[in-house]
Amino acid sequence: MKFTLNWLQEYVKLDNPAPEELADKLTMLGLEVDAVEPLFEDLASLQTAQVISAESHPNADKLTLCKVLVGDQELQIVCGAPNVRKDLCVVIALPGTTLPGNFKIKKSKVRGVESQGMLCSEQELGLSEDHTGIMELPAGTPHGQSFLEISQLKDTLVEVDLTPNRPDCASVIGIAREVAGLTKKQLTIPFKGTTLQQDTESFSVEVESPDLCPRYAARLIKGITIGKSPWWIRKRLLSVGLRPINNVVDITNLVMMEYGQPLHAFDYDRISDKKIIVRTPRDHEKQFTTLDNVVRTIDPDTLMICDGNGPVAVAGVMGGLDSEVTEKTTNVLLESACFNSVSIRRTARKLNLPSEASYRFERGVDPGGTIDAMERAVSLMCEVAGGTAEPGGIDVCDGLTTPVTLSLRISKTSDLLGISLTTEQVKDLLVSIEIPCDTVGDDTLNVFIPSFRIDLEREVDLVEEVARLIGYNEIPISLPAVDLSFPEQDSERIKRNRVNEFMTTIGFSEAINYSFYSSGYTALMGIADDDKRSTHVKILNPLSEDQDVMRTNLLPGLFENVRRNVNFQQASCKLFEIGKVFFPLSGESLPDEPTRIAGVLSGQREGSQIPFHSKDDQVDIYDAKGAVEALLEEMRLANGLQLLPVSDGFVEPFAEKDYALNLVNNGATIGSIGKIKQQVLRNFGIKKDVYYFDLDFAALCDLVPEPKAFAPLPVFPSVKRDIALVVPGATPSRDLVDAVLKSREKLVEHCDVFDVYQGDKIESGFKSVALSITYRSQTKTLTEKNVEKAHNKLVKLLTSNFSGSFREA
Amino acid sequence: MDQELEQIRGEAIAALESVSNEKQLETFRVDYLGRNGQISTIMKKLGGVAKENRPRLGQLANTIKKELDEGFKQKHLDFSIIPTTGEDRGKIDLSLPGRRPQAGKLHPITQIMEDVCSIFEGMGFSIAEGPDVELDHYNFEALNIPAHHPARDMHDTFYISDSTLLRTHTSPMQARIMEKQEPPLRVIAPGKVYRCDSDITHTPMFHQVEGFLVDEKISFADLKGVLTVFLQKVFEKELSLRFRPSFFPFTEPSAEVDIECVMCGGNGCRVCKKTGWLEILGSGMIDPEVFKMVGYDPEKYSGFAFGLGIERIAMLKYGINDIRLYFENDLRFLSQF
Repeated sequence: MKFTLNWLQEYVKLDNPAPEELADKLTMLGLEVDAVEPLFEDLASLQTAQVISAESHPNADKLTLCKVLVGDQELQIVCGAPNVRKDLCVVIALPGTTLPGNFKIKKSKVRGVESQGMLCSEQELGLSEDHTGIMELPAGTPHGQSFLEISQLKDTLVEVDLTPNRPDCASVIGIAREVAGLTKKQLTIPFKGTTLQQDTESFSVEVESPDLCPRYAARLIKGITIGKSPWWIRKRLLSVGLRPINNVVDITNLVMMEYGQPLHAFDYDRISDKKIIVRTPRDHEKQFTTLDNVVRTIDPDTLMICDGNGPVAVAGVMGGLDSEVTEKTTNVLLESACFNSVSIRRTARKLNLPSEASYRFERGVDPGGTIDAMERAVSLMCEVAGGTAEPGGIDVCDGLTTPVTLSLRISKTSDLLGISLTTEQVKDLLVSIEIPCDTVGDDTLNVFIPSFRIDLEREVDLVEEVARLIGYNEIPISLPAVDLSFPEQDSERIKRNRVNEFMTTIGFSEAINYSFYSSGYTALMGIADDDKRSTHVKILNPLSEDQDVMRTNLLPGLFENVRRNVNFQQASCKLFEIGKVFFPLSGESLPDEPTRIAGVLSGQREGSQIPFHSKDDQVDIYDAKGAVEALLEEMRLANGLQLLPVSDGFVEPFAEKDYALNLVNNGATIGSIGKIKQQVLRNFGIKKDVYYFDLDFAALCDLVPEPKAFAPLPVFPSVKRDIALVVPGATPSRDLVDAVLKSREKLVEHCDVFDVYQGDKIESGFKSVALSITYRSQTKTLTEKNVEKAHNKLVKLLTSNFSGSFREA
Repeated sequence: MDQELEQIRGEAIAALESVSNEKQLETFRVDYLGRNGQISTIMKKLGGVAKENRPRLGQLANTIKKELDEGFKQKHLDFSIIPTTGEDRGKIDLSLPGRRPQAGKLHPITQIMEDVCSIFEGMGFSIAEGPDVELDHYNFEALNIPAHHPARDMHDTFYISDSTLLRTHTSPMQARIMEKQEPPLRVIAPGKVYRCDSDITHTPMFHQVEGFLVDEKISFADLKGVLTVFLQKVFEKELSLRFRPSFFPFTEPSAEVDIECVMCGGNGCRVCKKTGWLEILGSGMIDPEVFKMVGYDPEKYSGFAFGLGIERIAMLKYGINDIRLYFENDLRFLSQF
C-alpha cells in the first residue's frame, strides 16, 4: 500500500509530519513501513518559464524559435513542440540539469541557432506517456520558480507492507484513521455514512449469487466528456505509481486508493437491455475478452458481471473489452460492489491477473463503505468530467451480514498480555480508532465492531488491538513460571550431533546440500531403473529441472561439492553429510525419510600441510574404509558389523568392483564404501579420483551400542613376535589375522597385519603378508620359552591352513 | 675388603662425574654395574670372607651399588632430556609451521542450530524433529490457514500432491506435538524448510527453529522474556530489541521481533535499510483456533510460539552476504567457521 504524506493530510492534519518519525510509529502499530522516499527528486532542478515570443526557426519549418522568461533571465530556446506559443507557461530544463532517464541538458546549436535549454513534455518529465507537445502549466503560473513547488509534486511516498488481516488499511483513509488514533487528531472523510436513493428507471441490477456478491450498488452519470484529468488527480495517481488514463478511470482509481473500495465504470450505452446481472457463467459462456484484449477461458465458478447479452466483466478482477469506457463514452454506469474474497482470489489466481482491485477484494473490502466510495466518485465525475448524475441508483445488499458485537474481558486481556489494564484505558484505546464500545459491569466491554474492521471476529482479536495500541514495547518482560521438568531428547539427534563432531575431528568438513536434485542424477550415477533409488518423490512445481525430485541418495550433492572444490584448486577434499533421503511409500501419503551419512574423499590425504611435514600422499580406498571403521568404533558398533569386500554380492553401480566394500549387519547390507567409477566422475565433471562411503545412519542408530565396561589393565608385560608368510595372492590378509585370533592359543592378545608385499622376491601369484602378534599372560611374565612354543604352533597352523610358506625376514 | 669397596666407590663416583656423553656413560655402566663389572666381581668374592663380616660387607656393597645405580640413572636422564648438542641446533627452524592434525569443520548452519538448541535446552525445552514432506493439514489447516487464505501468499509452497507439500515452516510441529501431548509443553523443533524462491537473499531450502510453550497463565510478557534471553545469548551481547505487531494466522497477538542492527549498532546502514533494526523472528501467543483443533481448552491454557531462520542469524552473526554460499559447500567457505 502506497500513499503520500500530503495525501494523508487531506484526512488528518499532522503537527509534525516528519516522515521518518511517522514511519516508525506506523511500523510499531503493525503497519510495517517498507520505504519512505522523497518523490520526484529528479525534477528538483527544473523551473517554470513563460514564453514571450514564438517565431518560426529560420532554417527549419517544424521548429520554433522562442524567447522565454525564467526569473530575470531572458533565454533563447529552440522548440519542436507544436503547442508552443506566446504567453504559454512551461517547464524548462536549463543547461546542466538532468532529466529522468539520465538525460543531460546542454547548451547546443539547433540548425545553426543557439538553444539555451529545453522546454519539456510530460513524457520527458517522467509524468506520463504524453509526448505530443510540451507540458502546459496553468495560465498565470509565475516563471523562475521551482517546478516541484509550483506543481505541488514535492511530497514523500510511504510504502506500507500490509499484513493480510488489515484490508482496511489498503486505503489512505484507513491509514489516516490509524494515524488519527495515534496522534489524537480529528479524522475528516469527505463522504461518510451517505445513503442512496433507491430509484431509477434507467437500469436494473440482479444478484443471482448473494453469497459471492453480498452487495452491489450502481449509479448512472450522464453527459460525461472523457478527457485528461485535472492536474491534482493525475498528481495523486502519479505519486503512488498509478498511470493516469482518462478522467473517468482516474477517478475510479483515485477513490479506490482513498477508500479502499475498487470501482468499475461501464459505458452505459454498451450495456444490453440496461440490465446488470451478477452471476456465474452459463454453460455456453466459456470465453471472455478482457479489456486488455486477451481472450480468457472462464471457469464455471467464476463470478461474472453480465448484461442482457452475457458477461461484461470478470467481477472484481478485470472489465471486458466490449463495455469499457472509451473516448466516445458519454454515459457511465458506475459499479461499487462487495465480492466474496475467496471467489475473487481464486479467479485472480486462475487468470493470473493480480490487480489493485483484486488485491483489495481478496482481503475483503468494507461492506459498509460501498455507497460512500460510490458517492465520492459520482461527485468527482460531475465536478471534473462534466457529468450529471441521475438522482437515484440501485443498491442490492441481500448478502450483508449483521454487524458483530463482541465481549471483551479486561481481566482476560490483562492476563494474556501480562500487564494490568483498566476498563477505561481499554475503552479509550478502542474508541481512538473508531471502534465504539460500552462498559458492562466491572470487567467487560461490549465492543461494536465497525464494518471496516472485518478482521475483528473474536475476543482475542480485540486483545491484539489493545496490545497494538498500548504499544508492544510498553508490555513488561517476565519469565514464565513453569514446573521444572527434564525433557527426554531424541536419541538419533544426540547420536547425529556426536557423529558430526567426530567426523570433523577425523578431517571431514560437513556439507549441507539441498534435499531436492535432478531426477537425471540417478542415470548419471548408473543406478538402474528398478533400483529403489530411481523412484522419486516428485515436486509438482519445481523451481527448475535441476531440482525436480527429492533426493534418494546423498552422493550426487557431494559430487557437485567435490567438483566445485577441485575446480577451485583445493588440494584435499573430505566432506560428509548427514541428511534425509526420500522414498515414496505405497499406500501412504507421506514418504519414508530415512537419514543417511555419506562422505567423499579426494586429493591429498593431508591437505594443508607443507611438504616438509608430509609426503604428497593421495587418499585411497583404505582412507575411506578407515573413516568408516573409526566411525563405527566411535558409535561403539565395530564388533557387531562386518565390512566385507563385495566379491559376488551387491556392488553399487557407481563403484569400481575391485574397490568396493559393503557394511553388513546380520547378513543385511546397510552401507557401502568404494572408489567411484571413471565414467561416473566424468558424468559429474570431476577430474580427480573420488572415494566414498554411504551408510544407513538410521539403521546404525537403531543398533545397540556395545556398553562401556572396564577391563583391568594388564599387570605383566607383553611380548611381540613378527611373522611373514608367503601365501597365494588372492588370500585375504584378514583371514590370516582371524586364524591367529581364533586359534586356541591362549597367550595371543592381539594380531595385526603390518606389511603386505608383492614383487621381485616373491613368486608371481603369491604375496608376503607380515603379521605382528602380541603375546601376554594374565598371571606371569612370559619367558622366551613360553612365547617360542606358542609362536611356533601358530606358524605351523598358518602355513598349513593357507598353503603358505614361512618367509625369513 | 672394606677398603677395597671404599676405593671402588671413590673411583666410580669420580668416573661418573667425568662422564660427558652417553658413550662414556655406557662404559661406566659396563665397568662398574655390568654383569662382569667391579661391583659384581667384588660381590662374588664375598663368599670368601669371614662369616661374621659377610652381612655387614654385603650390606655395604649393596649400598654402594644402589648409590652408583642412582647416579647412573640421573646421568642417563640428563642425557635423554637434552638430546641436542651445538651441532644439532642449526637444523631446527622454529619458524616453520607446526605439523597439524587435519580437522574438518562443522557447517555454520549446524553450529548456529546447535547454539540455538542448547540455549533452549538450558531453559528446559525438549527437541523434536518432524518430516520434511508434510501434509497440507499440518502445514496450513491445523495452523488456522485454510485453503485460499491470503496468508498462503506469504508461503511460496512446493507441492508434492494436492494434500502433501514440502513444509514451508517448522510450525507444523506445533500441531503434531499438541495433538499427541497434553500441556505443559516446552518444545523446540529445528529443521529444514522449503519455499519456491531463489535469489541473493532466498534459497529454496533453508533452516528454521520453531519453539512453543503452553501452560496455564502464560502471557505475552513471558514471550518477551524468553525471546529476550534467547536473543541476547545467541548474539552474545546485550542487544536492544523491539517487538512490533504483525500477523500470523496461528498466533494472536502476533509479533515480529527486531534486534538492533548488528552491522551498524543501530545507527542505520544499508543492511538495516537505515532503520537501525533487523527483523529476526516471528512470534505470538498461540491462537485459540489452534488450541481448539488439538482439543486444548483456550480458556484454561495459553502459550506462545516463535519461529526463526538459522541462515539469517548466521548471516548477521558472521557477516555472510550471500545466502547461496551455504549450500555450495566450498571448503574455502566452510573452513572459516
